[in-house]
Formats: sequence, structure tokens, C-alpha cells
Amino acid sequence: MLVQILNGLVYGGLLYIVAVGLVLIFGLRRVVNFAHGGLFMVGAYVGFAVASLTNFWLAVVVSVLVLAALGVLLDRFVFRPLQNENHIVTVLVTFGILLVLEDVVQTIWGKDFLSMPTPPLLSGTVTIFGNMFPVYRLVVILVAACVAIGLTLWLRYSRIGLFVRASSMDAETTAVQGVNTDRVSMIVVAVGAGLAGLSGTVAAPLLALSPAMGSFILIESFIVVVVGGLGSFSGAFLAAIIIGQIHNFGVIYLPWAATMIPFLLMVGVLIWRPTGVAGSHV
Amino acid sequence: MSDSITLSNRPRGGLMASLPQRSVFVLAAVAAAVGIFLPGLVSSVLLLSLMTQAVIGAITATGVGLLFRQNGVVSFGHAAFYGSAAYIIGLSMRYGLLPAELAIIAALVLPPLLAFLLGLVIVRIPGVAFAMLTLAVGQAIYEFALKARHITVGDDGFAVNFPAQVFGISVRTFQHPSSMFLICWMLLIVILLALQVFANSPLGRLTVAIRENEERARFIGYRTVVPRAFVYALSAFVASIAGVMAVLYNGFVSPDMLHWSLSGSVLIMAIIGGPKYLWGPALGAVVFFFIKDFTGNLTEHWPAIIGMIVIITTLMLPEGLAGALARLAGAVRRRGNATGEAAQ
Repeated sequence: MLVQILNGLVYGGLLYIVAVGLVLIFGLRRVVNFAHGGLFMVGAYVGFAVASLTNFWLAVVVSVLVLAALGVLLDRFVFRPLQNENHIVTVLVTFGILLVLEDVVQTIWGKDFLSMPTPPLLSGTVTIFGNMFPVYRLVVILVAACVAIGLTLWLRYSRIGLFVRASSMDAETTAVQGVNTDRVSMIVVAVGAGLAGLSGTVAAPLLALSPAMGSFILIESFIVVVVGGLGSFSGAFLAAIIIGQIHNFGVIYLPWAATMIPFLLMVGVLIWRPTGVAGSHV
Repeated sequence: MSDSITLSNRPRGGLMASLPQRSVFVLAAVAAAVGIFLPGLVSSVLLLSLMTQAVIGAITATGVGLLFRQNGVVSFGHAAFYGSAAYIIGLSMRYGLLPAELAIIAALVLPPLLAFLLGLVIVRIPGVAFAMLTLAVGQAIYEFALKARHITVGDDGFAVNFPAQVFGISVRTFQHPSSMFLICWMLLIVILLALQVFANSPLGRLTVAIRENEERARFIGYRTVVPRAFVYALSAFVASIAGVMAVLYNGFVSPDMLHWSLSGSVLIMAIIGGPKYLWGPALGAVVFFFIKDFTGNLTEHWPAIIGMIVIITTLMLPEGLAGALARLAGAVRRRGNATGEAAQ
């Protein structure tokens, strides 16, 4: 039972890191980044490539940096030029980018599933109340917790964090107050994309790598974002934990319906509260 | 590409609300006549088969375009309705649940009903998030078909054996490209006409008003959820028709028919064509199928190409090919008028 809860936390944690990136970008730019699953996937592959040349730790760093750089480009050349267009335009363009990213990755690494070994330092198991549990999975939970804490502190206590929260509430008024929203947005999209890279690399030893791996996590994190309430950081956290558990117990006890349950939960939440669990508050 | 040329002739009459209805019917009659002669002119069965697939795609894309035009939202999940319709027929035939005719009726009724009920929940969500929800809806149904392998045979799909006659028509008529092309072509014309009538109906106008400003429409005293759910159901209905045609034509169902990459392709067709125009998505579908066939022979990088096409179309041609053609036709007409006035 404990092992299953922990496994749920692993999945929930990965979902949280992806979903919170979506929330960050949505807060600033009011758009849903359909390429986000693609960023997760690219992160996993970059991590895989660097890890096979050097080691896992460098892979995490490089992957986060590469993806953050990609985020800067995405903001500069996609989100900023399109900010006054209908948001659907941005959705479609990011969807196009997703297709291009999948094709690029497929061209470089091929269609076949790749697997990344667990870093040797973390490959053992620990005993928790008499249950064996892989160290690596514990580390993933830890990473997700660190991201959650770090992000909360950053948003609460840094000046940029204040701007981010202000912009998510009302970007126009924030800009009128003299905040350079374009710069804030660039940082935020870079952080969001970097987190997708982090999540991808950290998830890589647990998953089979394939160019299509991004779409699955994208859809699940959409559910997280909608259940949590668009633009809500705490809501995304809560929803990711819940959906991680539901997903995991679903896989064990109701395997044929495992992917339906998060979806039904989402429909239920939307009937109950159309704005999601945490409403539109940050 | 002759059929895309006929489509391109339509904006001149304009399936626009402001123009008299009669010209629309004249154009429909012309298009129908072209459809009758087209299979005779095309000798290649391969090309004819491609054209049939393209017209079925055009019907699906018209459904997605309807949602964009009336509700102002995009759907990443229309394969759910297209594929469900196909699976309802496929499973009915496989397990002998219903006679073919009843199965087809069920396939046309149940997916739109599901869409209506879902619509009551999800149309309340603003545009961008709505796109996410449709994707989740589609993927949930896809995963369900994949996981329930004891019923649906999972990944592989299965062949659908129809009785010799459906609605008194030989099944071979549906499975031969030249006759099926004509059936689907006529169906597309009927659907476009019906949607044109719908667009001018009070409900059609009301949904456009809601699209423009939901709050104001509510203040005037209209209910805003049910009309939009109805449009969602109507667009699912159009996609279901395409699903029925696809399973009749191919005699095969597989989870690919439910997958979100199909939903994505259909949306891309609609965007390339220009969903602001009723006939845009259909045009986009035809262009999409021919580009796909053409590049498929040259390169494996079809996803990247279509991704680029989407990016370029949304940025450079926000109203799609239909918009560009309509503007071209408008410019030609204005020039014609100008010279006409100068002559007077």
C-alpha cells in the first residue's frame, strides 16, 4: 500500500513539474502551450544523449539549460509576436511546433524505444517500513518537492515572483505600473520550459523514450491544469498529487479504465466548479 | 485537383449570409454536376480512391470548421466522434448486435448525443482551455478502445463484414471508389447546404452572437450554454457521418480512427482551408490529402512539413486558403465593377 502511494507520488511529481510549467506560461501569456509535451520529450532525449556521453548529473543540468534556452526562443519568436492575436492562433502554432519537434527527434534518434539506465549512485533500493522501494523513485519525489518549494518561495518572496503573480492576475495593469512584462514573460517561459526539460530527464530512466512520449504527458498535465484551475499554482500541485494517486491505483485495480478515471474526475470537477478546484486564484 | 478548382469557384457566389440563397443552390447544383462527371474523367483507381478519402476527410473537417465558425473554438478531439461512429457500426456487425441499418442510425445518433451531454459541461470553459478539454475527451475514448481489447481487439482493429445490402443498396456500391466518391461528394454538398441554412437560422445567429460576446448575449436574456452544446453536437454529428462513410468504404476499424493525431490532422485541414468560410475546411481537406500524397512519395518528414504548413498558414493566411481565394475573387470583382463604371 505504502509502495503504491509512493509510486503515485512519483508520477504525480513528474506531472506537477510539467503542469506547473504550463501554469506559469498560461499565467503570463494567457495561452496554452501545446508544444509543452514536446519540450518534455526533447528534455528526455537531450538528457539521454548527454548521459550516454558523460553522466546523469551533467545531463540534468544540460537538459534544463538547453530547454530554458529553447523557452527563451519560444517566447521571443512565438508568444511575444502573437500576444495580441487570438489565443487560438498561438495554440495552433505551438501545435505545429510540437509536430516539428517530434519529427526532429525522430530523425535524430529514430522511432524505436530507447531506455536510459538509472544513475549508478541511485540504482539501489531502500527499505521503508519493511517495503523495498527504489532509491531513484524517492529522488524523483524529492525533486518534485524541491521544485514545489523553490517555486513557491520564488513566487512569494522575489521581486520577479511578485511581478509574475501580478501579471497572472492582470497583465495589462501590471504593465501600466511599469513592469516590463515582456522580460518577465521571457524568464517565466524559460523557467517553464526548463522545468519541462528537468521533468523529461528525471523521468527518462523510468519511461521508455519515444518521440510520441510527449503527447501522453501533455494530455495528463492538461487534465491537471484544468482540475487545479487554470493559472493556479497551488491548484496544479493538489491536482497533480491527486491524479498521480488515481492514475496509480487505477493501473493496479482497474487497468482497463485507468486512463478514463482522471478524465472522469476532470468532468466531475468541471460540473462542480467550472473554474477548477482552486478557482482563478494564484 | 479539379475538385479544388470547383470549390474555389464557390466564393464568387459566396456562401455568405448576405447573398441571396438562390445562388447558393445554383452553385450546389453545379458542384453536384461536376461530381457526377468527375469519376468518369479520372481513370486511375488509386487517384479516385484518394479523392474519396479526401472527401470523407472534407466532411470531418467541415464538422470541425463548424465549431470554429459558430462557437469560435477549436477541437483537438473530433476523432472521438468520427471513430466512435465507426466503432459502433464495427462492433454491431462483429457481435451481431444490430442489423446494419440500425447500427448506422445508432452511429449517427449516439456520438452527437454524447457530444451534447459533454458539451453542456465543457462549452462553459473559455476558448483555449476548451481545446485542452476536447483533447482529453478524445484521448480518454481512444485509450478506452485500446484497453478494452477483449471487445475491440485493441491495437490491431478488425475487418467489418457488412451484409450484402445496406438500406437496399449493394455494399459494393459503398466499397467501390467511383460510386463511393459520388455518394460522399453529394453528401458533402448536402451537408454544406444544410449548414448554410443553419448559419442563417435564429439558432445559428444566436451562437455567433454568443461567440462574439457571451456575457452580453446572456444579459439580453439568452441561454448561452445549450446553444453552444447544440453546435458541438451538430459538429460531432457531421464527424459521425464521415465516420460512417469511412467504415462503409474501408470495411475496417482501428484505434487510429480515434487517435488524437487524426483529430489534429482534421483540425489542420480546417485551418489550412480557413474555417471562417463554410466551404474552407472542405477545401483544406482536399489540399491536405493531395499534399500528403505528394510529399509522402518524396520524404518521410510529413509531420514536420505539416507542422510548418500549420505555422505558416496561421501566421500568413489567418483566413486560410478560402480567405485568400475570397479576397482574390473580391478584388477581381471590384476591378470589374470599376472598369464597368468607367465605361458608363
